[in-house]
Amino acid sequence: MNAFSYARPRALAEALRMLRNGAMALAGGTDLLGLMKDGLARPDSLVDLTGIEGLRGWSHPKGRGLRIGALTSLVELETSDALAKTMPILRESLQDAATVQLRTMGTVGGNLLQRNRCWYFRDEGTVCWLKGGNRCFAIDGENRYHAIIGAQDCVIVSPSDLVPALLAYDAEIALTSSRGTRQMKLGDLFVTPRGRDRREHALRSGELITEVRVPEAALARRGTYLKAMDRKAWSFALVSVAAAAKFERGLARDVRLILGGVAPVPWRVIAAEKGLEGSALDDAACADAADRLLAGATPLRDNGYKVTLARELVRRALRSLVA
Amino acid sequence: MPRVVKSREEFEGEIFESLVLVEGKDLPVAPAGTEFSEIAKSRRRVDGQQRVTGRARYTQDVYLPGMLHVRVLRSPYPRARVRRIDTKKAEALPGVRGVLHRFNAPKAAFRGEETIFREEVRFVGDEVAAIAADDEQTAVEALRLIEVDYELLPHVVDLEEAIGDMAPRLDTDGNVAEAATHKRGDAKRGLKEADFVVDATYRTSTQLHNSLETHGAVATWDGEQLTVYESTQHVFGVRQGLRAALKLPFSKIRVLCDYMGGGFGSKGGVGKYSIIASLFTMQLGRPARCILTREEENIAAGNRSATLQQMRIGGKGGRITALEHISWANVGQGKWVANPTGPTNTLYDIANLSSKSYKVVTNAGSLSAFRAPGYVEGTFALESAIDELAEKMGVDPLTLRRKHAASPKDPMVGKRYSDKHLIECYRIGAAEIGWQRRRAGGVRGSAPHRRRGIGMATQIWGGGGGPPAYATVHVNSDGTVVLTCGSQDIGTGTRTVLAQICADELGVELEDVHVRLGDTDNPYGPISAGSLTTASVGPAVRLAARDAREQLLGAAAGVLETPVAELRLESGVVVTKGARTPLAEILGKVDNNTVIGKGGRHPNDPELSLRTFGAHFADVEVDVQTGEITVEHIVAVHDIGRVINPTTARSQVEGGVLQALGFALSEERFVDRATGRVMNANLENYKVPTVKDVPAKITVKFVDRPDRKANNLGVKGLGEPPIIPTAAAIANAVANATGARVRHAPLTRARVLEALAIAGARS
Amino acid sequence: MLRGPGEADIAFTVNGAPAKVRAAPRRTLLDTLRETLALTGTKKVCDEGTCGACTVLVDGRPVYSCMTLAITCEGKSIETIEGISKDGELHPVQRAFIDADAFQCGFCTPGQIMSIVALLRENSAPTEDDVRRAVAGNLCRCGAYPNIVKAGVSAGKRKS
Repeated sequence: MNAFSYARPRALAEALRMLRNGAMALAGGTDLLGLMKDGLARPDSLVDLTGIEGLRGWSHPKGRGLRIGALTSLVELETSDALAKTMPILRESLQDAATVQLRTMGTVGGNLLQRNRCWYFRDEGTVCWLKGGNRCFAIDGENRYHAIIGAQDCVIVSPSDLVPALLAYDAEIALTSSRGTRQMKLGDLFVTPRGRDRREHALRSGELITEVRVPEAALARRGTYLKAMDRKAWSFALVSVAAAAKFERGLARDVRLILGGVAPVPWRVIAAEKGLEGSALDDAACADAADRLLAGATPLRDNGYKVTLARELVRRALRSLVA
Repeated sequence: MPRVVKSREEFEGEIFESLVLVEGKDLPVAPAGTEFSEIAKSRRRVDGQQRVTGRARYTQDVYLPGMLHVRVLRSPYPRARVRRIDTKKAEALPGVRGVLHRFNAPKAAFRGEETIFREEVRFVGDEVAAIAADDEQTAVEALRLIEVDYELLPHVVDLEEAIGDMAPRLDTDGNVAEAATHKRGDAKRGLKEADFVVDATYRTSTQLHNSLETHGAVATWDGEQLTVYESTQHVFGVRQGLRAALKLPFSKIRVLCDYMGGGFGSKGGVGKYSIIASLFTMQLGRPARCILTREEENIAAGNRSATLQQMRIGGKGGRITALEHISWANVGQGKWVANPTGPTNTLYDIANLSSKSYKVVTNAGSLSAFRAPGYVEGTFALESAIDELAEKMGVDPLTLRRKHAASPKDPMVGKRYSDKHLIECYRIGAAEIGWQRRRAGGVRGSAPHRRRGIGMATQIWGGGGGPPAYATVHVNSDGTVVLTCGSQDIGTGTRTVLAQICADELGVELEDVHVRLGDTDNPYGPISAGSLTTASVGPAVRLAARDAREQLLGAAAGVLETPVAELRLESGVVVTKGARTPLAEILGKVDNNTVIGKGGRHPNDPELSLRTFGAHFADVEVDVQTGEITVEHIVAVHDIGRVINPTTARSQVEGGVLQALGFALSEERFVDRATGRVMNANLENYKVPTVKDVPAKITVKFVDRPDRKANNLGVKGLGEPPIIPTAAAIANAVANATGARVRHAPLTRARVLEALAIAGARS
Repeated sequence: MLRGPGEADIAFTVNGAPAKVRAAPRRTLLDTLRETLALTGTKKVCDEGTCGACTVLVDGRPVYSCMTLAITCEGKSIETIEGISKDGELHPVQRAFIDADAFQCGFCTPGQIMSIVALLRENSAPTEDDVRRAVAGNLCRCGAYPNIVKAGVSAGKRKS
């Protein structure tokens, strides 16, 4: 880790001022410290956000949707019984995410902004395309954990468990910087690195996520989150799926279907969801949705199994909504 | 008077004949059913309190005043010539105290080479230079400032590429060398005459030890004496290596290892880090600490070789007629090979057999022994192939094995076993798992897409131990006892088991015995490896305790004015007809004194073959849509002679099973072929089992009969046996459940799904 | 107030007693405990938040001290393996570990114990599954897991 200076302001404005001046934001530190230890982030200064009280905790003002402060710890979302009633998919997606310790340390905002786990990217000794090099080593290298779809110059995958769950409920995020605030759909936060844009997130410099919002209408959905790992705990998803829908007379409406672990961004195909509108989510409909979702998948040497896994998890997730 | 005798010992699957120094006569073995005071009793670990309070001092916890922190610059290339090293900028960094590299380091012999910094570095992680600094961060920063001019050379890291014609030749003789062969009967003819033949290729991936405590040493030189704290399985081996490297006499080197955070075979001798730390402390006069990081541990501190194994096995009339086994193992830059053909050669009484083991060098980190090296890999192939043959022949795989497993003679060397209860292991295991429930093709599992099946596999290993091993027992005038030997407790419970043997033989309370291990100032103790500690050191401890007891009773006879023949020592009390006198009281009547008992391990009978046997049975469920394997139940049955401590023995078996579970399902090193870099030299992507991977049930059983010809305790080793057959038992259960034969360990989802697709296409 | 990059004064409590250390912002809590405060019971195994051997409690919650900067612990309460036994008497979890033979080499043990101590404060009678969830982020290479689970459950029983 390089040497850096550190501050822990109490006021958001102070933190934003520091960010504008080039500091990096520290919350739980579970990703940033890893990047720093691997020499992938070398900040001159860190601004510790955890002193800012207003960004912690969640609320559900009647009829106005769910609001989750960006500094809320993952373990709080996971263990709150009240939240498990309001939006059960949160607990479901978090209980197999990382470990108790990391969920205790990690925050919602940090989880959304965590960087990918590609082992070439994380290897300090490999200057891969995403780090400014001229090739992606995984495409012709060791790629069992890499993208099967949606990738161009770089085959990283979206690692978060929480994100697909939030996307299945149409979450939005509030962003703020010293220039002002804005709101965006959570899905728009994630960008596929390609061409000259080698970013994973659409966050502007100096900007912070302050809140995640889930619209009230979405909370009526039934949802589920499934995750396949290569051991029974403490692994990033090989493939994960979040599915949600509401049901009218046994038929699905507002279906959402998002895959994690398969593409550089959380993978969503509107046509796949639309195809399920009004369906009873029978096996044929599930297979059709999987076809649409995975159309154009181009597995690499070692990750063809992810296509099989994804199809099956999609089927199981959708079936479980009607079960 | 000490005398020299011949002995025959097995170590890590190989037989060695040696001359050893022994004294006096050995003791007879107590028969089965003997009621002991401490032996064969479950006891809590004597060092438990130290370990649960954080007070146990491991090598990593040794911080000495003025200590320098050493970090090693390692080659980023799999093969290159180091042409020039410029350390000016690094040396200019405040806090940097010393630099070593191939142009300035003194010669230091290491594993057949003259220097620890090679001109031609041969794997990513090979040592290029080392920095000693006031603190670790400074050392790390200084590494970045060293400029090295490398001339890149062609490399190969993959086993199968290295065997091929296109690979660069890394040794003058090529990359492939024959390491071991064995022949009996005529395998070619046996295969020709067979009605059924299985011809299959098996693969096992590179497994990384990932002992939680990394390799490392803290060295300090006082101008006269070198003291090295090292996380090692063999303090005397480290001393031997330091003597060779530094040209110091044994008397000037002391190696210490009190508590040790796991080794699993990889910490068998001196490491370059110990030599580097020693060179720095001798040059700079300050203690020096060189402890590897997790990444260094996984690129430069050893591994279990990946293997490619060809099995041809023939059957006829319900029996195996012939077996042919050829193995290639990726030893990286290692100088030896752990032969996977060991179990093939020794396990079954098969008349026609031929085996060959090849060592394949590549530009990857060296192998090192890893818990039953060779046998884990070989048993996976052998025991999978036998099941495949049984399936083809339409016979029960356990029945087929029984026909070849009953011989009282070692089929390879023709000598009688000292003892063997393999058939009994089969009987116990089959009953525990419910083998009669096994159905060809498996049964439906807990859901329509889940299949359930049962499989088993056999274990053979050494574990007879042997000399040299010595111990002393000091009895203090307050009746407390210090047992001293040069062995180490690497987590197996050695301290506890030796204390039990000592207390039992001496006739004192367990809590009055304090065990001192891990010090080259102690009497010689062997490497804590090869499942040999209890069987090697245990008998020496018993003799030392007996010697001390005889002296104590002699002293008691004098003090109590009673003939020795009328005295007994029990639980620290001298018992005469009618009176009980605490030992401390008797010894307190004489002036300050120390009673010293000595013992040395006696030789093994050279006419016998000492082996351990066992069998594992697995009950698994397979999700045929996602390739996920869930191991529901493992039954582990072992024949290891007398069990000294049922609790620690059980723990040892569970631990072996779980390490095997990793080998079977999830553990696999990945090396990028283009760059030679290990992609998962960490605990994120190198997947050791977690608590949630543990099977719902692990049943541990021992035959638990003393091996009366093995040694004076009737014990054999247990460190390695429980890791040997598990993976094959699981693969056989998966095949039973699904019809899919996965011939590559670990059985990842990708491989299971592929095998399921092949099986589905076939049916 | 910007502190560092050189050493800064940091005050927190460790095992109930106030501690003042000087450490640069980049120094982890793990290194500070081990090297500055000589509390070597907390082990360094991966140093990158993957193994759990360095688990300590910060304000009563289990965290990886290798992924925690010491400077972020200003004013907080830190508990380590050295602090859980009281007046020479072992903590129930420590006793349960000895009784259940829940360790072999012992290197992961302090972290395992701290994770279970944290669990018991939230849930005084945990089930086997509760214990498994609590230590799923604490790797044990010797494979003492079955006994660790037993120890966790029995420590709960002893406590209540």
